Amino acid sequence: MSLRASFSGHAGDFAYDVSLDADAELLVLYGHSGAGKTITLRTIAGLARPEAGTIEIGGRVVFDGASRVDEPPQARRTGYVVQEVALFPHLDVERNVLIGVEGSGDAKARWSQLRGALHLDGLDARRPHELSGGQQQRVALARALVRPTDVLLLDEPFSALDDVLRAELRAELKRLQRDFGIPIVFVTHDLREAHLLADSVAVIDAGRVLQLGPRDDVFTRPSARRVAELTGVRNLFTATASGDRVEVDGLELQLPANGTNGPVDLGIRSERCNLRRFDPDEPPPTNCFVGRLVEDLAFGNTHTLRFEPDGPGPRIEVEVAARPYEVLGVAERDRWVIELPAEDLLVMPRG
Amino acid sequence: MRAPRNWWVALPVLFGLFFVVPLLGLVWFALTEGDVASELRSSATWEALRLSVLTATLTLVLAVLLGTPLAYLLAASEAGWARLTATLLDLPLVLPPVVSGIALLTVFGRRGYLGDPLSEAGLTLSFTTAAVVLAQLFVAAPYYVRAAYAGFAAMDPRFEGVAYTLGLSRWRTFRSVTLPLVWPALAGGAVLCWARALGELGATLLFAGSLPGRTQTMPLAILSAFESNAGLAGAVSIAVILVAFALVLMVLLHRASTPSGAYR
Repeated sequence: MSLRASFSGHAGDFAYDVSLDADAELLVLYGHSGAGKTITLRTIAGLARPEAGTIEIGGRVVFDGASRVDEPPQARRTGYVVQEVALFPHLDVERNVLIGVEGSGDAKARWSQLRGALHLDGLDARRPHELSGGQQQRVALARALVRPTDVLLLDEPFSALDDVLRAELRAELKRLQRDFGIPIVFVTHDLREAHLLADSVAVIDAGRVLQLGPRDDVFTRPSARRVAELTGVRNLFTATASGDRVEVDGLELQLPANGTNGPVDLGIRSERCNLRRFDPDEPPPTNCFVGRLVEDLAFGNTHTLRFEPDGPGPRIEVEVAARPYEVLGVAERDRWVIELPAEDLLVMPRG
Repeated sequence: MRAPRNWWVALPVLFGLFFVVPLLGLVWFALTEGDVASELRSSATWEALRLSVLTATLTLVLAVLLGTPLAYLLAASEAGWARLTATLLDLPLVLPPVVSGIALLTVFGRRGYLGDPLSEAGLTLSFTTAAVVLAQLFVAAPYYVRAAYAGFAAMDPRFEGVAYTLGLSRWRTFRSVTLPLVWPALAGGAVLCWARALGELGATLLFAGSLPGRTQTMPLAILSAFESNAGLAGAVSIAVILVAFALVLMVLLHRASTPSGAYR
């Protein structure tokens, strides 16, 4: 099973031009609110009509702007789950699940399977308001899967749940994905959730998918400054690259390999920077510079430290776990050597 | 929770009395000065009551059949015409019913703009029972459409989207998802519409006249009794019957239209 979608259109004043590809995997569509995540899901489900493009679900063309193919949502075989309107409030659990498939023996068999897999035994006669938030989302998932479904579209399905429940549901979702072997498109604006769930990540911003790829690729090799920003890279500079070296604010840094020449965007995650004790008699080694600690924000298990350069080098934010923070005695000195390891430097073409 | 025991509780009590006392006065006056018993025996009274119930019910049926799709369309559309129409719906609520009657006459009356084509087609509307229904529909249907519109507009349209992806046709979705969700609003609007139609006087008088057995509904019968020799006493006797009848029906309707649980 696979999903191939590439379409463009308008929703009011908002213009979008989206390309997505997913095989039987969990694709997280990650972006801020208003980035176009929901309209993307609605378009794939057939609830919104793009102006051009093609959508292919499980090998079937369900939309083609050029040849005027436009299957209605009823025929697209998508499972669509939205957190706020997960279940029909006037129907009990069983009637919610079977509403689209009444009388079908296959569906009944699938429902009794799903009921066990999703821990919903004994809830058939309950109304949605008598269920916990986690149970409601499970019933909604069961309903989406009780018909033959070629792709599952989930619009922030767990956003109203607490962390423990979310972790449980994520594990169940991963299992369902493997059992059913269909693509799941999971919309979220939560970076941690994206990290935990994704096989692949699509970063969407202002109606466009900026980068799509395996999770680790997207998080460790952002294709552009905006992707780095959206995926939580706090240190971003303009720099000049030449060969395997890059210069930022008068500081020359070593890169692991030759790359582009000329102006680039340079980034490094704050948790990837290292701190070393400053010794005035020793010149800073490669990829190191001296900084003055100007701000120290404690978050319990981590500290976020801000440094001003004491000579050449950029302003930088460093995240240190509580233990090394105490062992190093960060609070006791204000001059530190900051190391930006070559393999953690993100070099992006200037967009 | 502690019940409020402040002086201002007197205000709602006074306000309630403002409605109850005149109604009690009406009943007392009818029992002492009027002759409710003979009105109850009079076939003319029953004829008027029958006509009232018949026309008000027909009005409600038409309002629901024609008004529900209109309200749904208005709520679903974001176009300018939809907003304009929704605003115009309030107009019949503001107009004095007499003006509504005149407006109907200018179009559907015998000498109205559509009078000639209508009579050529063998249709004379004014001063018929059909005219009573039209007058009531003009005045009372907006109550239903407004309530239904508010109900549809308050519903999250994503419920319908989810239903479509589950394979439910548009009609099935409307019947099994949309209607149950907006049911309280529709039922409330229907009760209002029917009640307003039952009490309709001004537009009916102008457009349909007051012919006993054909266009004379209860309100018109009361007015006609008031203007006859029977005077106030006669009018009040019929009025009490209408009040009693309306009261019983409103109680029954409220029971039927209020959901028992969180949802029916």
